Amino acid sequence: MICGHCKQRPANVTVTQVQNDQKVERYYCEICAAQFHPFQFEVSEEPVSIQQFISNWMNFLPASTTKEIKQATEKKTTNCPTCGLTYRQFLKQGKFGCENCYETFNAQLPQLLERIQAGTKHVGFKEQTISIEKIKHQIETLREQLQQAIVAEYFEDAAKIRDEIRLLESKVYSGGEGQL
Amino acid sequence: MNIEHFLTNANPGWMKNEDGSDIVISTRIRLARNIAGTRFPNSFTEEEAQGIEDQVMNALFSIEQNPYHFSYFPIKDMPQLQRQILVEKHLISPNLAKRKKIGSVFITEDEAFSIMVNEEDHIRIQCLACGMHIEDAFEKARKIDRYLSRHITYAYQERYGYLTSCPTNVGTGLRASVMLHLPALTVTKQMNALIQMMTRLGMVVRGIYGEGSENLGSVYQISNQITLGKSELDILQELRDVVEQVIRKEKSARKALLIRAPSTLEDRLSRSLGTLKYAKILTSEEAASCLSNVRLGVSLGLLEPISQSRLNECMLLIQPGFIQQYVGTTLQPAERDMYRAKLLQDKLSEQDESVNNGEKGEDSI
Repeated sequence: MICGHCKQRPANVTVTQVQNDQKVERYYCEICAAQFHPFQFEVSEEPVSIQQFISNWMNFLPASTTKEIKQATEKKTTNCPTCGLTYRQFLKQGKFGCENCYETFNAQLPQLLERIQAGTKHVGFKEQTISIEKIKHQIETLREQLQQAIVAEYFEDAAKIRDEIRLLESKVYSGGEGQL
Repeated sequence: MNIEHFLTNANPGWMKNEDGSDIVISTRIRLARNIAGTRFPNSFTEEEAQGIEDQVMNALFSIEQNPYHFSYFPIKDMPQLQRQILVEKHLISPNLAKRKKIGSVFITEDEAFSIMVNEEDHIRIQCLACGMHIEDAFEKARKIDRYLSRHITYAYQERYGYLTSCPTNVGTGLRASVMLHLPALTVTKQMNALIQMMTRLGMVVRGIYGEGSENLGSVYQISNQITLGKSELDILQELRDVVEQVIRKEKSARKALLIRAPSTLEDRLSRSLGTLKYAKILTSEEAASCLSNVRLGVSLGLLEPISQSRLNECMLLIQPGFIQQYVGTTLQPAERDMYRAKLLQDKLSEQDESVNNGEKGEDSI
């Protein structure tokens, strides 16, 4: 038998690994085997990935619920409209494909998150994205009004609207670049 | 700042502030973020990847009031050895190092901050700090996060918080880790029970040199598992509580060792220093375990003083990537073991400024 790594020298070292409860035996020559110690950085070879581990773990359900989920997923295999992911694919890889997956699989999520998280609701710092979106929208509307005011030659109103826009813009960009 | 700066320096700026804690080595904070409106890296196209990179680059480079000076490195341009060194320095993940096309990293000069782009998530902000500085490192990472959020709209939902590719990061996107040197708990075989206890408390325990290296050099990394359903401050506080408890246990285990077998202990630690000083061939395992013993010996006052930062530097240097960078060529494992021994001897015989002031580890018992 030749070495499974260099494929040149005869294999005389047997390496036994346990991956996901399955015994895997590999045969190497002494020279290649010496390289397989914990510090070795093997980019080409995928280690037992934490992803796989997590996905196995998330897959672990009591028999009855597994059945239910199977039935549920078989009945209607919903694909995420943005990235095309199915819930089954998600369980396999342990990762979502896009932010919309959280909407698409909203029904299955609480059950999943309860197992791996402390709750199903975010209680940390709140992101201001929504209000920024709102402000930007507000600015757009004000701009239109400003145009109308200028066309109608209501310059006093126009000045007021302009100041208002500036104020909102400074909120969005906190005094940074002054343009949209 | 060119890449050589980051490859040759085993003693980056963030490692220089010592705070006398010889059990806690370092703290790391990581925030996972994604940009709204673009699919996650596991399903996006190359164009989308480029779009993300451009957005982050614009935010970090184009605005005058940016207080941070980042250097930018696309992974695809890097030779294997360079990637390996950045992994060994914990500046990028092994996952990013494997990429052929997509992915890049932004690093500050002192290496305290690094931002990985298009790894598992679009943006991963990392802050490293020496010693136990959980809240401080978090505040710093959050500042960068707030800065980016002014230029980038994050994928965020009221209900689930920051949306991430893996649901184990969703919510706060926060992973805080503390790296601890626990030789006395390891040698008295208390670690397994402790790891089980910490797992029940929602913590993950790992070795520093990646998975499967749990025992190497008795260095462990403890981090939070939960990211959703708890606030950032609670997550940090819980980690702090667990870490402080572990530190107390390590201290009492050290005391017990000193009382029970003082001469055996002193002999063992002194032998390790002897090995580091005079051995001609050192495997990474042996070097890691000798360094661990020397660190313990210094902190117990049984060995001549060596500064923490010198020991931290040695811990980085014994890794294969660093040795090959130092020699300037790729080496077979057996050759590496010889250069490792030489490199360590050079490092340990250098003048140690901080020790000349007569300082000693404050944690010595």
